[in-house]
Amino acid sequence: MNNASQYGDLATQLLTESRRSTATNTLLKYNDVLVRAIIREQRDLEARIEAALARSAENPADAPEPGKDPYMSTILLYQTAIFRNKRCLLAYHHHRIEFLKDLYWSVGGALPLLLALPPGGTHANAGAQAGGAGAAGAAPQDVRSKLSPHEVDFLRSYAASLLTLRTEAFSSDAGGAVGLTEDIDLLAPISHPPKDLQVHVRVVRDCGVVHTELGAIDFKRGHRFLVRRSDIEHLIVQGYLEEL
Amino acid sequence: MAGPSFIDRARSAADDDDDFPIGDFPGGGRQTIIPQDLAEETPFQQLIRHWMNERHAPDILPGQEMLLGRLLDHIRKQSSDVELLRADPDSSEEEHFRIMLVQTEVERVKFVIRSYIRTRLHKIEKYAKYISANPEIHEKLSKAELDHARRYARLVDYHFNQSVLQSLPEQQRSSEENVPFMPPMTAQPDKLRPVFAHALQDCPPMRLPDGTMSEMQKGQIVLVPFYVVEQLLLRGEVELV
Repeated sequence: MNNASQYGDLATQLLTESRRSTATNTLLKYNDVLVRAIIREQRDLEARIEAALARSAENPADAPEPGKDPYMSTILLYQTAIFRNKRCLLAYHHHRIEFLKDLYWSVGGALPLLLALPPGGTHANAGAQAGGAGAAGAAPQDVRSKLSPHEVDFLRSYAASLLTLRTEAFSSDAGGAVGLTEDIDLLAPISHPPKDLQVHVRVVRDCGVVHTELGAIDFKRGHRFLVRRSDIEHLIVQGYLEEL
Repeated sequence: MAGPSFIDRARSAADDDDDFPIGDFPGGGRQTIIPQDLAEETPFQQLIRHWMNERHAPDILPGQEMLLGRLLDHIRKQSSDVELLRADPDSSEEEHFRIMLVQTEVERVKFVIRSYIRTRLHKIEKYAKYISANPEIHEKLSKAELDHARRYARLVDYHFNQSVLQSLPEQQRSSEENVPFMPPMTAQPDKLRPVFAHALQDCPPMRLPDGTMSEMQKGQIVLVPFYVVEQLLLRGEVELV
């Protein structure tokens, strides 16, 4: 540990990263190095507290009067640093999972798509980029490479939990099985209420044959269609189609 | 300070809600608490009121499962009617136009339902830990929502453990600590947050934060901390705007 720096400096760096991520709306790479460094600092602090406690126990005579142990202030200082570091660590991780959840919802819950997405930017142009890059564009800069393994696990479990919620939602005592899933697509966007039934779309990426109200449509790149919004809304969200 | 509520405006707007007749209440327990002059709200208007309340309230409000169930049933019926009419070659041009209107309206109702559920989900996840620790909140959630809250709280705990806590020294691993001068680690709804409340009827007196009592007349709009109007809101005497 660099002696010139103070306890808590590293944690401040970590928080600055979170702030930067919010300000630019980009997902930064999981800072494993910094997290580890702070955890080392925590161990170091804990060792110092124990040493101080041991010294205090060895030399009870140092206290000028009861309750005025000279080591107490040292211990308090270390303790404060420990609490602060711990909160910063948790805040950093919390901020990241909130960001990931937002991403998850913004791509309509398509987890494999999310992991392959280039980080930052909206899903619409993300889809366009992916389409432009073609099959060969196995970009090393996808979201997955920015995550820690635990975060990938978290997203998987989160998706699983939501799936359970969607299958059993509102079927408990609402008068018979209501089966929310078939009627309401929870993952559809909620930023703008639908104004028209039909929507003009341009196909950005091939997505094969999709069954719609008008029958099966083969969505090939570059084609344009007028289709019922609710049939293909998820494809717009996932960046296969583009609204015109 | 009086102003027409969203609902009033919706009511005085062109009457396009006749697809949602009222008569079919199955007489649930909640029906009794809705005041007389609100009883004429259509289910969709009720949903809009609950949706707006939910979006404005800092705390999670009781879920409206009965209402949702009723609306969903209705949507299903409408959709199958529409399918039938569409399939019928005898339906006229005018009928086709009506069908389009009905379909659009159905999509819009679905949008509100979706947004309502998502709003609740957002709060449930935000306060997941607090919710699973406090049994008195459980009755405000549906079983599925409560299960999700518990799963989510466990999930976050597990993630924190795996990423941070398990690497820390033994003494620092707890995820719940009460340190003086530091906020608690479990996020709680901020009931002090100010909200705009619109009185749907003359309300009983409420106690303001400075200790004075105040009464709202029907149609008045006030800006108060959430906890002041919480009870009025639960009884359906005010709505948040």
